[in-house]
Amino acid sequence: MWDIIKLVFPYAIAYTIPLMITSLGGLFSERGGIVNIGLEGLMVSGFFASAVTIISLQAIIPDLSIWIGLLAGMIAGVLFSLLHAFASISLNANQVISGTAINMIAAALTVYLARTLTGSGNITIQSGLPRFDIPLLSKIPVIGPLLFANTYASTWLVLAILFISWVVLYKTSFGLRLRACGEHPYAAASAGINVYKMRYIAVMISGAFSGLGGAVILVTYSGEFNGSVAGLGFLALAALIFGQWKPFGVLGATFFFGTAVTIANISQVIPELGFIPPLVLKIFPYVITLLALIVFSKSSQAPKAEGESFDLGRN
Amino acid sequence: MKKSLSIILSLMLVVALLAGCSGGTTSKSSIEKMTPGSNLSFKVGMVTDAGTIDDKSFNQGTWEGVVQAGLDFGLETKYLKPSGTTQAEYLTEIGNLYDAGYKFIVCPGFKFETTIFEAQTKYPDAKFVLIDGYPHTGDYNPVVGSNVVSIFFAENESGFYAGLAAALQLKTGEVGFIGGMEIPAVQKFNWGFQQGIKYANDTYDTTITMNAENFVYQGSFDNVAAGQQLAAGMFDKGVDAIFCAAGGVGVGAINEAKQRANNGEKVWIIGVDVDQYSEGIYDGTKSIILTSAMKKIDQASYDMILDETFNRFQGGQILTFDSTNGGVGIPVENPNLDKSVVTKVQDAFDKVVAGTIVVAAEQGNLFK
Repeated sequence: MWDIIKLVFPYAIAYTIPLMITSLGGLFSERGGIVNIGLEGLMVSGFFASAVTIISLQAIIPDLSIWIGLLAGMIAGVLFSLLHAFASISLNANQVISGTAINMIAAALTVYLARTLTGSGNITIQSGLPRFDIPLLSKIPVIGPLLFANTYASTWLVLAILFISWVVLYKTSFGLRLRACGEHPYAAASAGINVYKMRYIAVMISGAFSGLGGAVILVTYSGEFNGSVAGLGFLALAALIFGQWKPFGVLGATFFFGTAVTIANISQVIPELGFIPPLVLKIFPYVITLLALIVFSKSSQAPKAEGESFDLGRN
Repeated sequence: MKKSLSIILSLMLVVALLAGCSGGTTSKSSIEKMTPGSNLSFKVGMVTDAGTIDDKSFNQGTWEGVVQAGLDFGLETKYLKPSGTTQAEYLTEIGNLYDAGYKFIVCPGFKFETTIFEAQTKYPDAKFVLIDGYPHTGDYNPVVGSNVVSIFFAENESGFYAGLAAALQLKTGEVGFIGGMEIPAVQKFNWGFQQGIKYANDTYDTTITMNAENFVYQGSFDNVAAGQQLAAGMFDKGVDAIFCAAGGVGVGAINEAKQRANNGEKVWIIGVDVDQYSEGIYDGTKSIILTSAMKKIDQASYDMILDETFNRFQGGQILTFDSTNGGVGIPVENPNLDKSVVTKVQDAFDKVVAGTIVVAAEQGNLFK
């Protein structure tokens, strides 16, 4: 059993990380009062931008190109999220519609650009981030091989971002203002907060994080841009609700998803898990999500003004 | 306010539509070029299966053959991508091609079987090429109309050569298999591969082991993450080479192998359908693709169009591309294989053509 856990754990973490950072991006957006159903599309844009950047630079600066690629993914995510921000904040458009448009445009535009720029809708990078064991820490009994062996540098970057996000949201005035914009934007406005600006920042952060999520997929487990992140953006949204719009709730929820999906995938080659039908393993995380949504529906911690457009002239 | 939003939204939709219409570019192909006959007045259409036109596999191979024929014979070519993978969606696109005058239609994939059954009577003056399947009503009784050619490949023979080459090159170790969906074309690759390993063990004294738990079908052709995780699990358990007949699932497996090769591990992937050597390059010119089990889909679609130019379309027939007509095999160039290995595989190829080696296309007592 220990062997199985040791085998599955590092891959589960690798799968969780892009999901987690995207979900965290969604958290910022929704805490600021803007529903962001476009996470999937934002991930795809980051996925694409990092792939193009890395293949152009890999021959010249092999190691650095991956980090520049991650940065490019974040920038692409920010730029794309501005479309959503403009439509839903400046134009008071329906946020679900605008987010859906982001998903559609990202899926189509990136494949179109990939074909124009590289001649193929699939962009393969030569190598991604290397996996390594952290010296000393990976020798700690039990948690060493689980947490510190076979890790990617991006994993630690994302975990650092998660922790910083928690500090920013709960320990700074910026975080308080952001949350106020998602709960009572008019009260926040009357206290002198520029709700439009705060919401723009919130959506841009969600774009940066989702773009990073897409880029992390590329440099860790996929290695090829193919125009789709296979619904991870929507899974990130579900994890956000499951995690009740809290950073560490998101950590728990995405890790649960990541582990469950990894076990479902890898169980095929682990005979010890063969007694559970693969179908049961595959639907398990989704069934749990549905149950969790039912359980939490009464006590939902959703930001109160989420999804409502803000119009200063209305009051 | 609302007006400008609607303008933006419509612009987005237009961009999305334009993106959907972009044509695929093609890379070099291995097609044997021929001089066409006199019938050069038809237009060639293609409907893609699940996946995109540049999937480096089925759709792309078929389309490359179509495009090459179009260039060589001066024919108009066009492909349409259905919005889904249901029979209705396939039929819609076939109808669209037909209405636009494309009456020679190539459809790759077994998913077209029931669609072509409908289409062959609905459009009697159109001609269809169905790759990897035959028309039927859903009961698997072949009803190949006089305007349809069905093409099958001997994937078992292709897998056999790949297995033999892998075993001879590795000499000792363990191999595994990751398939996409559990469909005949993929199963035959798997079964042939196992027979190739066994043949090497029996004939050339290699000691390659195979374990039933390392022969799996992931269940899709696009789950990259699962491919990476399955490959990682197998490599962790000591598998040295994995044969991937799984489309996008194989992409994840190739990525995992590249990562391990960069860390100095000796792991291999055996490619499928086309020569995947270039996709496995991780350092300069070194690739983790040991060899590839090829089926020459591009040649098949090219040859069918060539036949039509001579007015000798083999309607009503089920054709098999196998070793005897060069439809399957391993790549001509195999940088990761020794000369002696290639010679021995060629030797086996000749024996298969001569009939002294028979590669079964059924499971028998092999792993699923």
